[in-house]
Amino acid sequence: MNQNPYQPINGEIVDIIDESPTIKSFVVVTEQPFKFETGQFVELTLPGEGEAPFTPSSAPDDSEKVEITIMKAGRVTALLHECEKGQKIGIRGPFGNGYPVDDFAGKEVYIVGGGVGLAPIRSLFLTLVGRMKDFKSVVCRYGARTPEDFIYKKTLFGPWQQIKGVDIKLTVDEADGGWKDNVGVVTTILSAKDVKVNNAVAVVCGPPIMMKFATLKLLEFGFEPKDIYLSMEKNMSCGIGKCGHCMLGKYYVCKDGPVFTYEQVKQYPKIWD
Amino acid sequence: METLFINDLKPLLDAVAKQMELYVPKKSGDYYVFSRYDKQGDKGFEFNNIRTCTPIKEFLLPVCELAATTPGPFQAKDIKPFAVFGLKDCDLRSIAILDKVFSEEEFEDPFYTARREKMFIISSDCSDPAESCFCNLLDGRPFAESGFDLNVSQAADGFIVEAGSQKGKDFVKKYSQLFTTVPKAVMAERDERRAQAQKQLQENNAELAFDRSVKEIVEGSWESEVFDAEAKNCIECQACTRICPTCHCFYLYDTKQKDYFAKMKMWDSCMRMAYAAVAGGANPNKVLGDRLKHRLMHKFVYFLDRYGMNMCVGCGRCVDGDAGGIDLREILKKLSQEHKGEGKKKARVAK
Repeated sequence: MNQNPYQPINGEIVDIIDESPTIKSFVVVTEQPFKFETGQFVELTLPGEGEAPFTPSSAPDDSEKVEITIMKAGRVTALLHECEKGQKIGIRGPFGNGYPVDDFAGKEVYIVGGGVGLAPIRSLFLTLVGRMKDFKSVVCRYGARTPEDFIYKKTLFGPWQQIKGVDIKLTVDEADGGWKDNVGVVTTILSAKDVKVNNAVAVVCGPPIMMKFATLKLLEFGFEPKDIYLSMEKNMSCGIGKCGHCMLGKYYVCKDGPVFTYEQVKQYPKIWD
Repeated sequence: METLFINDLKPLLDAVAKQMELYVPKKSGDYYVFSRYDKQGDKGFEFNNIRTCTPIKEFLLPVCELAATTPGPFQAKDIKPFAVFGLKDCDLRSIAILDKVFSEEEFEDPFYTARREKMFIISSDCSDPAESCFCNLLDGRPFAESGFDLNVSQAADGFIVEAGSQKGKDFVKKYSQLFTTVPKAVMAERDERRAQAQKQLQENNAELAFDRSVKEIVEGSWESEVFDAEAKNCIECQACTRICPTCHCFYLYDTKQKDYFAKMKMWDSCMRMAYAAVAGGANPNKVLGDRLKHRLMHKFVYFLDRYGMNMCVGCGRCVDGDAGGIDLREILKKLSQEHKGEGKKKARVAK
């Protein structure tokens, strides 16, 4: 870690990909190699403007570039959306604990995602399929508000579905004329038969309300709270468990998370708020 | 521990001031605040029988400081040694709490530790605890036995000086000509004064004798209505958290300077509406009563779970400083009473 944990390392936006009307992916190249583990997050600084936390969506093995998918949601993200290629940017981190991928070995990995929650999941997905023989299967259930709100469309609708051992199902809250698949919230495409619960782990990432109902559904299927991994969204700022904004009970989401098992956090009220 | 005697404080303070910047208490209205020591004595130094009004964290975590720059890198600068006189046991314990957070291995805050390492701590006994002091509820005492470089106890004809660290021992060795041995009667006098102050604290807080730990009282209060009721008096001035010596939340923000970009670190407060809000609009503590609850949970439950100590030293500054008249002791009392009436309350709800 940098000697001064508040000092970003310099980077530059080298590519911008429009993912959906409200979501863009930014490819960032850093001056120094930037290593992270899948599920860990970074603080991205727009110099002089502000900073916000994001989980990279690229696979962690690519230390040349970091890809970060950002939904326009607040002040800093709106400014980032106005940025063009060549924009200088600062990056701090990586922070916290990511997905314990090695612990998933030999198991079925059941991934439930919604909206921009696919960003961290993409990083995990690429990590998993990069060493597919280690896992029994990778089962993805993913929802978006409308068909055009899906991100990573090019890979999600095609190549990813062809990978051996991968099973992907999609849903939208509201369909348009061309949509032939399921309509309904993501829990409507979850089935107890998707995986064998006693040899599976579940990974959930998305808007809080979706995470809540997906978790309840997984518990109903018989998942143990310790086998449900949640990527928690709180107001992470310092990244090192000091500034206090991201507290979730005794945990600092920035340092102890952002990935938690449901077992760790279920004792606290309002985890989904 | 090396224990010595000195007739007058001035030579001691002058000796400290010769080596480093020294901050001492002086009276401001009814309270004590810290002021730079002036050998001429015209800044109004006064021996404080009680803690200062302002928290000690000011010396370790400035209200606002530069944390990073672009272009960088910006590093914590070397700090010149400085000394603070008149810290009380509660203040020393507040520093121990901040140490847990900011000197944590692997997650050290270099700006904090740079100051902490250079701080020369001279504590003193509390001979006149305030009405708002409740350190005895939280294992505190009106005198310190560790955590200082030097400790000063006032007696009728002078002061007992103890060296509690290597830095302190080196100091008294260097200035040994200032000190004499402690007369036996003076030691006895100190014991008597300390016992008297402890008694006074116990009497002041007789109503705070709970039948269970503060943690149990607060932890069991998730559903309590006390927080919302108390929050009705809160005007969100945030004084409670700013004046608190253990509250340490901060806010990072970016600014444009003439020829560089700055990342600043500034005190923040969990009592602030948008404190925990995320960009998407979610906010677990939108309601003021929930923020008050979070503040107490952090102090008496979460911090204890994490670091093995309460994040409150019972100094009572928040009680003195609260513009809305919210009193932490009253909240604890009400929660404790509610606890006792738990059975009754549940029965009512069932109807």
